[in-house]
Amino acid sequence: MDLHAFKQRILPVQNRLFRLATMFLRNREDAEDALQDVMLRLWSNRQQLDAYQSVEALAVQMTKNLCLDRLKAHARQKPVDNADLSSVASSQLSPYRQTELIDSASQMHRLIDELPDVQKLVLHLRDVEEYSFDEIEQITGLSLNSIRVNLSRARQRLRDGYLKVTNYETGH
Amino acid sequence: MKQDIDKLLSRYYAGETTLDEEKQLRAFFSHPEQVPTYLQQHAPLFQYVTTAQLQQSPIDITARLEQKQEPRQLGKVRQLTSWSLRLAAGVTLLLIGFASGYVYTRWAASLSVNAELASSDQPEAASMKKVLAFDAKSQTSASDRIQAVNQSYALDGADREITQLLINTLNFDANVNVRLAACQALLRFEQEEGVREALIQSLRIQKDPNVQLTLIDALVAIKEKRAATDMQWLARNQQVLEVVRLKAEAGVGALTNPSQSPS
Repeated sequence: MDLHAFKQRILPVQNRLFRLATMFLRNREDAEDALQDVMLRLWSNRQQLDAYQSVEALAVQMTKNLCLDRLKAHARQKPVDNADLSSVASSQLSPYRQTELIDSASQMHRLIDELPDVQKLVLHLRDVEEYSFDEIEQITGLSLNSIRVNLSRARQRLRDGYLKVTNYETGH
Repeated sequence: MKQDIDKLLSRYYAGETTLDEEKQLRAFFSHPEQVPTYLQQHAPLFQYVTTAQLQQSPIDITARLEQKQEPRQLGKVRQLTSWSLRLAAGVTLLLIGFASGYVYTRWAASLSVNAELASSDQPEAASMKKVLAFDAKSQTSASDRIQAVNQSYALDGADREITQLLINTLNFDANVNVRLAACQALLRFEQEEGVREALIQSLRIQKDPNVQLTLIDALVAIKEKRAATDMQWLARNQQVLEVVRLKAEAGVGALTNPSQSPS
């Protein structure tokens, strides 16, 4: 696999890998680091890549494993910089509403952070990356049923967790 | 529409929505001002997802990878050369091994040939000559020389060269013990020509009482009557120790009397 073929097959995945790494590591620099590591590993193993059914699934798996390894290696986690959140909160909204949105976004980050790794991964792959269940099956190695269960639990947990936090806050 | 959203939401939380339906949900929640209050609690998750989807990886990774490509290929070439180098090194080692083995066997063979040559020529004599050689004296120790002199006991017969060597040692060696050893060794070769004469001559040369006494004893033992005059000279020499003088006198008596008595 030469550089051209590598670019064609791997680079489209790059953004996905980066998002996945950011989701796990909660830190832009660490995510960049991890992504570069994965890319280099893929590049140095490019001769064997053709043997894999789906290079994308392999890349996602590698990224996931690398991130989990790094999280294990140093438990310290820095909060992600939420600079681009303002893009969601469109400029017509009042500053108060914007702050609220950013606040709810950081709550959501925290809640996702607290999810078990499997739920986190499945939720990310499905909602953020919009993978089909087949693809998630291929990447995670989970059965279709357990993917659905994990996904459902993750979503419910986030909703319930968010409700709990906001109720607690409004209750005051 | 709202009922649709409600339905979609419940299916969404059950994990049963399709990708298209999830897209609808996200589109619906991406406008916070349109979302009814009772649905607000669901908004943050979809907003999070929408935000997360917008994240782009930094572009420079591609560039870094392209930079890496050149050294990578260099590395590949280096790997090849290192393989061939390894091979070459292995072959060289083998060759060195064989060569050294060959050289060693040749060397060992030549050594054994030398040893055979030397043994045919009496090795003791050779090494003795080497150690006692006059110019080697400064490099050899007294014990070396005594050992060399003692090697003469292993010889069956001595030639002129060896007796001359021993005589030289007897007369001129710096160490008394070596001279004594040479004297004793020479007694074994009394039959050789020049040995008796040398012993007689040595009476006048020696200054050390020990050697003088040994010489007198030796000459008496081999009944060398020609030594009588030298012994008498020794007996009259005032510079010689009294013990030696007495011994010399006794020696003269021993040498002359038995010869006089039968005649």
